[in-house]
Amino acid sequence: MASAAIPHPKRRPPPFRSVTRSALLTLPIALWALLMFTPTLRSPGLNQHIGAFATIAFMTALFFLMMRTGKTYRWRRWFFVALGFLFPVGFIASLIHLRGSMSISLEHMLGGDTPFCHMVIPMIIIPAALTRTVIFPGSILPTASNPHSIAVMIALWLAFTLVLGKAWCSYACFFGGIEEGFAALPKHIKIRKLDPRLRLVPWALLIVVAVLSAALFEPFYCRWLCPFKTVTEFPTVTSVQTAIQMAIFVSLFIGLVVVLPFLTKKRTQCGFFCPFGAFQSLFNKINLFEIRFDRTKCVDCTLCQTACPTMALSAQSIREGKTLLNCMKCGACVDSCKKHAAVWHLKGTPVAVKPERARLLFLYGAWALATMLGGSILANSLATIIGFLPLR
Amino acid sequence: MHKRFLAVFAYIGAALSLIVAACTPFVLLGAFSQAVARTGIHVDAVYTGGTISRTVMRDGYQVDIYRPVQPHALQNVQPFVQIAFRPADSLPLRFSDEIDLDGDGRPDVRIRLVVPKDRNARPTGEVFALNDAYRSFRLPGSDRGFSELIAQSNGALLVRVPINSQLASR
Repeated sequence: MASAAIPHPKRRPPPFRSVTRSALLTLPIALWALLMFTPTLRSPGLNQHIGAFATIAFMTALFFLMMRTGKTYRWRRWFFVALGFLFPVGFIASLIHLRGSMSISLEHMLGGDTPFCHMVIPMIIIPAALTRTVIFPGSILPTASNPHSIAVMIALWLAFTLVLGKAWCSYACFFGGIEEGFAALPKHIKIRKLDPRLRLVPWALLIVVAVLSAALFEPFYCRWLCPFKTVTEFPTVTSVQTAIQMAIFVSLFIGLVVVLPFLTKKRTQCGFFCPFGAFQSLFNKINLFEIRFDRTKCVDCTLCQTACPTMALSAQSIREGKTLLNCMKCGACVDSCKKHAAVWHLKGTPVAVKPERARLLFLYGAWALATMLGGSILANSLATIIGFLPLR
Repeated sequence: MHKRFLAVFAYIGAALSLIVAACTPFVLLGAFSQAVARTGIHVDAVYTGGTISRTVMRDGYQVDIYRPVQPHALQNVQPFVQIAFRPADSLPLRFSDEIDLDGDGRPDVRIRLVVPKDRNARPTGEVFALNDAYRSFRLPGSDRGFSELIAQSNGALLVRVPINSQLASR
């Protein structure tokens, strides 16, 4: 009688690093997170303290897991999705606290109370260069009623861009996490075939939006096309025009940020629409970190192409051992590659010689900045949510 | 040898980017913001109202008269002059004032305003042009966005009077 074959239990791969080594590598990030939240912890407010402690623990734990498992995308996604879903909570609460409403009125625009967001940057460059005028109703320096001033946001963006290039889109953009969250929900891809020409849409939109904004002297994308107005602030509906604008914002949000990411498991707004993302791709040229492919190990299985959330890989680019310009260094391709052919790389060094060193150098910068910007958003939003809970 | 140099430069660059990341919240953020502010860039006058040309003192309040704002070529805004009555809290609930906008010693507009007790509510009123250079309007009743408005903002009551002729210059 033949005995039934006993299936092998699915073995977990051995950890990438020992606990001690991972903890030692995490220590600088833990100290950095503590340093970032020291002002919050010194000021009064129990909710703020809980929010800060939870964020320190969260960011440190995720970095430890990155070190322990050798996976980047998997753990970064927890942070990024949390950022995407918690940002609107804290932001809307602060809007309501400061001005009593989520919608922005004419009075707020006149008072310079519109918070500046990074999406506006490509639109203000031409008018600012030609006339030194910012075509956005914010304030240049922070004020009591508008801490998110133009100069501060530009400074933040500049620092991130110098360190990370297009990785801004996977470590800092507080909008991208929403669609990454919806893309993570289904187990299987429902729509597999996507036209590669869709990658060109953000570039076309970038040109159109930059030219129209300069010609009309208004931030065209913010006025007509931004899907995230749905979950941040929007103009008060006072006319047919503002009603049409709202309808466009909501439709784009539902289509590009909720439904299509769910069906394709891709970040469709980021990959196929966002003009800021296209603009940010240009900075990959001057950034030192990138993803490369070791052709001696690659078996052309296309797992990396399937995993890439923004279609930043093509068969041609993989054959050349590179990603496309719109790679946002999220690490999905590296995590998915079973042959370890996709590797982190520091430009100027030999490919696939010390990829973990390149990954560490990139991750320390990326996680430090993510803790500073995203972490403060998480802590603030958590404190807001705790404030709403009926705990007493 | 060339490759070795390149690799050394790459690691120096990576170390520098880490230093930039570490310095951002303490030094660079403030320095970058100040540098951006020092470039002399300013928010478009369509939103801010531009710069103050003259201030006239009245009994219990002051009137700031701004320089005329001439929008850019394709900008969907009419030329206007902004007038700010401040402080808004000291204004009578109903008042009327005649303002000389161009500084020629003769009043150009007569403004009648109703200031609501609720400071978050919109004030209403009428602007009567006393010559052809400016346009009359009444609010509520007409809405031309940024060039024709009566609103409260930053402790002032703002009135924007649309300009008829092209006498305005930025």
